[in-house]
Amino acid sequence: MNVVRSQLAALALLCCSPAIFAQAVTLPDFERIELDNGTVLLLLEKHDVPLIGVEAVVRGGAVSDPEGLSGLSSLLARLLEKGAGDRDSAAFAEAVAAVGGRLAAAGDLEAFTISGEFMSRDSALMVELLADMLQRPALDSDEMDKLRDRSINSIRAAKDSDLRALLPMYGAAFLFGEHPYGNPVFGSEESLARISHQDVLAYYADHVGADRLIIAVAGDFDTVAMVAQLSAAFSDWRQAEAGSAAVLPPAEQSGRRVLLVDKPGAAQTYFWLANIGVAADYPARAELDIATTLFGGRFTSMLNTALRVESGLTYGARAVLIEPSQPGSVAIYSFTNTESTTEAIDMAIGVLQQLHAAGVTGESLQSAKNYILGHFPPELETAGKLARELSFLERMGLDVAYINDYGAAISAATIETVAMTISDVYPLADNLVFVLLGDAAQIRDDIAKYGPVTEIAISEPRFRP
Amino acid sequence: MAVFAELRRRNVLKVALLYAIASWLLLLLVGATAEALGLPVWTETFVLLLLTIGFPVALIFAWTYEITPGGLKKAIDVEQTQSIVYKTGQKLNAAVAVLLVLGVLAVLGQGLLPTFEFLVPGIPEGDPPAAPEAPQEIRSLTLDNGLKIIVWPDHDIPNVVLYNYVRAGSRNEYPGITGLAHFFEHMMFQSTSTLEPGEFDRIMEAAGGSANAGTSKDITVYQNWFPKSALEIIVKLEADRLQNLFLDADTIESERGVIISERRSGVDDDNFSRLFEQVYATAYIAHPYQYPIIGWPSDIEAWTEADLVNYFGTYYAPNNCTMVFTGDVTPEEIFELAEEYLAGIPAQEPPPPVRTVEPRQEGVRRITIETAAQTPLLHLAFHAGRAIDKETLPLTLLLDILAGGDSSRLHRLLVEEQQAVISVDGWYEAGLDPGLVYFYLTLPPGGEVASVEEAVLVELQRVIDDGVTAAELAKAQNRRLANYWRGLATINGKAEALGDHELLHGSYEKLFEQPAAVEAISVEDLRNAAAVVFQRSNMTVGVLQAPAAETGP
Repeated sequence: MNVVRSQLAALALLCCSPAIFAQAVTLPDFERIELDNGTVLLLLEKHDVPLIGVEAVVRGGAVSDPEGLSGLSSLLARLLEKGAGDRDSAAFAEAVAAVGGRLAAAGDLEAFTISGEFMSRDSALMVELLADMLQRPALDSDEMDKLRDRSINSIRAAKDSDLRALLPMYGAAFLFGEHPYGNPVFGSEESLARISHQDVLAYYADHVGADRLIIAVAGDFDTVAMVAQLSAAFSDWRQAEAGSAAVLPPAEQSGRRVLLVDKPGAAQTYFWLANIGVAADYPARAELDIATTLFGGRFTSMLNTALRVESGLTYGARAVLIEPSQPGSVAIYSFTNTESTTEAIDMAIGVLQQLHAAGVTGESLQSAKNYILGHFPPELETAGKLARELSFLERMGLDVAYINDYGAAISAATIETVAMTISDVYPLADNLVFVLLGDAAQIRDDIAKYGPVTEIAISEPRFRP
Repeated sequence: MAVFAELRRRNVLKVALLYAIASWLLLLLVGATAEALGLPVWTETFVLLLLTIGFPVALIFAWTYEITPGGLKKAIDVEQTQSIVYKTGQKLNAAVAVLLVLGVLAVLGQGLLPTFEFLVPGIPEGDPPAAPEAPQEIRSLTLDNGLKIIVWPDHDIPNVVLYNYVRAGSRNEYPGITGLAHFFEHMMFQSTSTLEPGEFDRIMEAAGGSANAGTSKDITVYQNWFPKSALEIIVKLEADRLQNLFLDADTIESERGVIISERRSGVDDDNFSRLFEQVYATAYIAHPYQYPIIGWPSDIEAWTEADLVNYFGTYYAPNNCTMVFTGDVTPEEIFELAEEYLAGIPAQEPPPPVRTVEPRQEGVRRITIETAAQTPLLHLAFHAGRAIDKETLPLTLLLDILAGGDSSRLHRLLVEEQQAVISVDGWYEAGLDPGLVYFYLTLPPGGEVASVEEAVLVELQRVIDDGVTAAELAKAQNRRLANYWRGLATINGKAEALGDHELLHGSYEKLFEQPAAVEAISVEDLRNAAAVVFQRSNMTVGVLQAPAAETGP
């Protein structure tokens, strides 16, 4: 029996020479064109299926939301769909659906994005709708009221639903405090209620314009024809009126503090233990990805092994890093039955200490490298994914080397460089911001040991305590 | 001495030598071809036994008889002068030499020279798809043990997807073991008699792959995503857990805890899932679709090791599985690996069929959950058909027209115009047995569920009375077609689509008939489907909301 096992293990190590993958994954050739008004066009042909993916990114996002008006950028983005050009809200939705297309806007921390996918035969319509949304949105007052009210109610609905979705919003608000990275992207019930039609118009004039725009298109089209269509549609667009908001790096957190979000009757406690992490251009990204893979990035990670596989305390435990243009967050994220709250949190903290103390071994390093490289090609498999990747690189000011040299950087990582990255990025157990969501009456006393506790009821219309 | 000389004269010694060499050659031949010819493992031993028995017989024959120009005669009857034993001896010498050379060549060339290749059947090529519209590079093969394998090569990225579909879902359960199909899905990642707990995932991930699985009401699917370099090891891992699964008591207990956590976050802390579970339990009174896939809590707490052993024996047989490979592979290499690792898994008795047919519903059913909730939920479910029924595709398109996206009828009316709901969506899970067409709506705080229910029913009646427009049908057809292409844009999507059609629609080839089938649907098909399904007597209504405020005496 052991023979089979050792054969399997040997095969696993033998057959996975990282060099094989590293060569295979490069970004296909693409065209980058900057229009005179500042709009950047990125075009990548891919002809396997008759589809075109588009990703139009307008830099700004939640960090540009005015004080007290969190969610404004996201609300505006979604309002662009509610009527544009000659079409009212219903006609616009109909135009997209009639050809089997998809076109949806969504807010994000440092940008809002319009993502679309159309059959290749409908490329002209795709460009027309996109140009209308960005340059000729109706921004109708009634539509805005409806959308705002619906957004508020959607947050209320989320509080009745799977609570895993809400935790990161409380987490960001508590970790970053008044820093713009603490702004809830979608807004809060309270901040959305304050947004007026005037605020939306002002935001559109100030922060939406050609100089903020990146359009990435990938898929089944002809580049020359697509450049002509996009240039004709976007060359004459105005620039944004206000300057872009410069985001400063958030301050590292030392010591411990706890936010307890009370949901009476919750069956589980959802927890998020975090500190300030790194930015998208972090130089040791390969080492960090290896560390995160081993610590909490896959099924056999240290966190999942301890909290799920070996103890059955949870359905899942993982590490989550958010890497915007300035240092974002690095967090441990899990949930457990109310009665095992402190057991699970203590265990997660123990695993963090173990990460710092023991680092990685040669075997685990090789395993993580194989895992990352083996999972990389599907990340660039479809037109939609390629469009998203191109726009991301452009937005973050990153070179194609970010993709093309990644395999080599993963292969080159050593036990020492990974260990250095762990101590650089992962917080010590003494420096953690705790966000716990659960039935406060059941856990309040037990969790006081983690640090000073701030409490907020889930029914409160905000995420910041 | 005289006896020895006579033995030589009568060629008995040469016959002995020839017999030995010929036997050796015959054994080589049997050894090289037995497996390919599907001969049982004892064939070689049996041949050896026959040859051993034959040896003395041959010697006695050679001693007793002599070949003469006049035929075979008893040696004692042959005149010494007439004897041609010398000539016979020379022929025997030549035969010995030829056989010896053949034997030496066979030994030297074993594995190098195609000595017996003409007798060995090659790796099976598999069958191309029967449907002309299907990509002709697809191959399928059913092994002798009943395991069907479908391969769709796609060399776009150096990765492979392997889905193993098992024909076992919550429809195969009964009270006491609800959730067992899903629990079993978890146990398949634990230990085998060759691998310790956790080793499956460690080997998988160290090879650059990852695995997951999903259980539905009809099937359980094991999904593996990996770089091409890990192909052999993944096939070995799948084969290992199919034949060597080891159900250990500690792991069962630990995994029970994981599932309780999964249930609490996915169902108990989620109002939508709580209501969904109870609507199914109400809409079905006989058929096992009434059981939640994750299981009722009391059953999760109570499953025993014996339940699991019994379940494995019943459902996890090669003849109850279909494997789909998509990505950077060739059918030849997959079928070769299958012969090596999967063909030896023994077939089992097919599992018992699901006998129960849900009786016709004859009046509205209602279920209410009163719980802390800011936003009331309204679910409406109607009994409909199976995946293979011809009404299923029209009904799917109709559901898209009613509740698919921002341009759908119910969204326009209830979300945009009346603002009576925050969201409205629809879904139709058409499986092996008749499923439900399902609408789910979230209302704003204080929303009136009764009036929203009535508004939905009016819209459904409008479809029965007036049908849909040609433009609406064209829209739904285009959306369906675009989704079809989206599904085929990734190797993962291809594996899913092939498996879904093979398991639920009768054959994987049906997938490729979809574009034409979608085009062929008429406005009248939609209206007919609506008239059959959207009847009040066929409806189950679920409402979740906060309890009404207590009123004083």
